Amino acid sequence: MTWFTAISDRLPLTFKVPALVVVLMIVIGAGVSQVVFSRLVATQERQLNDLADAYLDGVESAIVDPVLRQDTWEIFDALDRARRLYQAVGPLQTVVADPQGAVLAASDPRAAPIGAKIADVFPVPASATGKVEIGGQGRATVARPLVVEGRMIGDIYAELDTAALVHERAQVLWTLLGTNAALTVLLAALGWFMVRRMVRPVNVLFAALQRAADGRVEPISEIEMRNAGSEASRLFAQFNDMAKAMADREALTGRLAQEERLSSLGRLASGLAHEINNPLGGLFNALDTLKVHGARPEVREDVARLLERGLFGIRDAVRSVLATYRPDRQVRNLLGADIDDVRLLVRPEVRRKRIELIWENQLPKEFEVDAFPVRQVVLNLVLNACSAVPESGTVLVRAQVDAADLWVDVEDSGPGLPAHVEAFLGAAGSESPVAGTTGLGLWIAKRMAAELGGTLTAGHSSLPGAAMRLRIPRRVGIEGESQHVA
Amino acid sequence: MAHQTDPMGRRDVLALGGAALAGLVASQAVAAGPATVKFALTPVFLTSDLDLLDKLKSYLQQATGRPVQLVTRRTYQEITAMILAGQVDAAWVCGFPYVANKTQMQLVAVPVWHSRPVYQSYLISDAARTATDLEHLKGDIHAFSDPDSNSGYLVTAAELASKAISPEAFFSQTFYTYGHRNVVRAVGSGLAQSGSVDGYVYEVLRTMEPDLVAATRVVRASAWYGFPPVACLAATANSENTRLLTKALLGMQADPTGREVLAMLELDSFSAEPPSLFDTIGANMELVRKRA
Repeated sequence: MTWFTAISDRLPLTFKVPALVVVLMIVIGAGVSQVVFSRLVATQERQLNDLADAYLDGVESAIVDPVLRQDTWEIFDALDRARRLYQAVGPLQTVVADPQGAVLAASDPRAAPIGAKIADVFPVPASATGKVEIGGQGRATVARPLVVEGRMIGDIYAELDTAALVHERAQVLWTLLGTNAALTVLLAALGWFMVRRMVRPVNVLFAALQRAADGRVEPISEIEMRNAGSEASRLFAQFNDMAKAMADREALTGRLAQEERLSSLGRLASGLAHEINNPLGGLFNALDTLKVHGARPEVREDVARLLERGLFGIRDAVRSVLATYRPDRQVRNLLGADIDDVRLLVRPEVRRKRIELIWENQLPKEFEVDAFPVRQVVLNLVLNACSAVPESGTVLVRAQVDAADLWVDVEDSGPGLPAHVEAFLGAAGSESPVAGTTGLGLWIAKRMAAELGGTLTAGHSSLPGAAMRLRIPRRVGIEGESQHVA
Repeated sequence: MAHQTDPMGRRDVLALGGAALAGLVASQAVAAGPATVKFALTPVFLTSDLDLLDKLKSYLQQATGRPVQLVTRRTYQEITAMILAGQVDAAWVCGFPYVANKTQMQLVAVPVWHSRPVYQSYLISDAARTATDLEHLKGDIHAFSDPDSNSGYLVTAAELASKAISPEAFFSQTFYTYGHRNVVRAVGSGLAQSGSVDGYVYEVLRTMEPDLVAATRVVRASAWYGFPPVACLAATANSENTRLLTKALLGMQADPTGREVLAMLELDSFSAEPPSLFDTIGANMELVRKRA
């Protein structure tokens, strides 16, 4: 039955219910037809036997005397009149024979001439019980002995026309078949129509869920809501509530990502201020030197070079920030310099905590992944690592590619990830942000990796803190712009 | 024999009716006395026997001015016995019983058919056969009408007797149908392969029941014989009833009701004929008796 169950599970309800109706109707129809038909057969045979008995009674009473007198004409006349009198029985042939089996007279003398042997002119009665049975040939035979005062004086043989009965049977059978077929078709159509009506809300809901699975969470339309019954309306309303909740969450997620971005910017802000302020001090010094000793050409050149280095430093820092946070960014391929930008951005933090930063950027000049989210995630991971390690800790960043993927490992010598965060990163399907203050950034990082088709997993580093591994697959078919970081 | 053939399929019904009628007649006879005219006949015809009997009775009552009772019997033998016993004033019998009882019977009137008081006996067979003579019917199952019938038995028996053979020996089997129409039915249905039948009845049937006759054909018509007559007991021939009856029959064609009766019988009239009209039947009878 497993195959049946398998097939049956796959079929739609709009097919299964009408099919079930058809099967039930066929079974019921066959059963009812069988009962009706067997009753008809029994009734027909009873009637035929009653008629045959009445016929033979009539014939017998009319021919006993002529048979005793061997009066051929009287026997024939009685048979001939009986033939017309008992038309309901439909006697085709009635033969009277003497005890030796010689024909005395027959209603159709040409078929059974006087003196012929009964065995030659009349089929042996089908039933020895004296009961007439309706055969398929439309003819039935019956025989009765003629006994007077205990003495056998002959036999009556009758062949009855049952064609009308057979025809009636056939008609009843066809009527039953026709009626049943018509009812079956009608009920199946009705079943199909009703089930189709009943499952319509389910189909609507199914389509809405399908759209949601494809990423388009849309509420069920007002028109559908109005057309649906009360139960379906409640179902739709619940779906719409859910769709609204999902849309809200999507919006919230977007806001969170934005806020997270701003949050990391905040974390960078003081470092960046230092990054700009430090060269500024040198630049002011250089300006003072220029004011005092500007007349000396060698001093002027030194100061100019100093100014240039300082301004370059400021420019790089500002460019990196802009590249990360500029809202009107465009999609472009990741450059090796993008990863180095991250190094620039975290430098103040690294310096402040005197962190040993091991930087292994093995990226080619350009790689086909979306640069902006990758920078964002890598920055997030490196900042996390930096904040996780103690003073003078170690952070390792290694970026490399293979044929299909970009791999970025960020390891640190910190205490390692909390268990629940590690569990979250290990669980492929978890969709909810983890509890706790540090979880949100990782959750968004994981989401961004997932949006790029990649993964973010956590492990243990030999440093020996946490080890994060980001894998982003190479984009196929999208030509990135070779736009420089600025 | 006569054309009073018997019964058509309703012979039994008529016989029953006849018996009941006879019972009625008997009781009424007691009440009414000798004035009632009693006329006997075998159920003559065909499809309208009862109409015919009503009409005949009506005419006879009107013509004789006396109550008339018609008495029907199945066989000529019964009718003959009633005449001889004086139970009826006259009877329509066959030429054969008349001749056989000539000394005790007297002619009352003889029907005229096609302008002559004579008729024929027919040998008939299945329509598909080609026999043209009695010889061709040898070995048949043969249907006779009545052992006291001239056309339905005596004519054929006499012809065979002239060849020194009995009907039982010439035919494989014979039987009596007690009615000329039944002979036609027996042959038409195939029960008998051939039959001896009254030519007058056969010709009337030809117009009245063409389908029945169509299944048969005439093998051969016999010589002409005296038409089955109306006869009475010679001893009562001068009684008032018999005299009135004779007058009524002979005057039938002059009366409108009488002509209706004659039309139903397809006869021209009744006439007074000499006993010699039946001499040929007497000769046949002698032939058969000698052979027997």
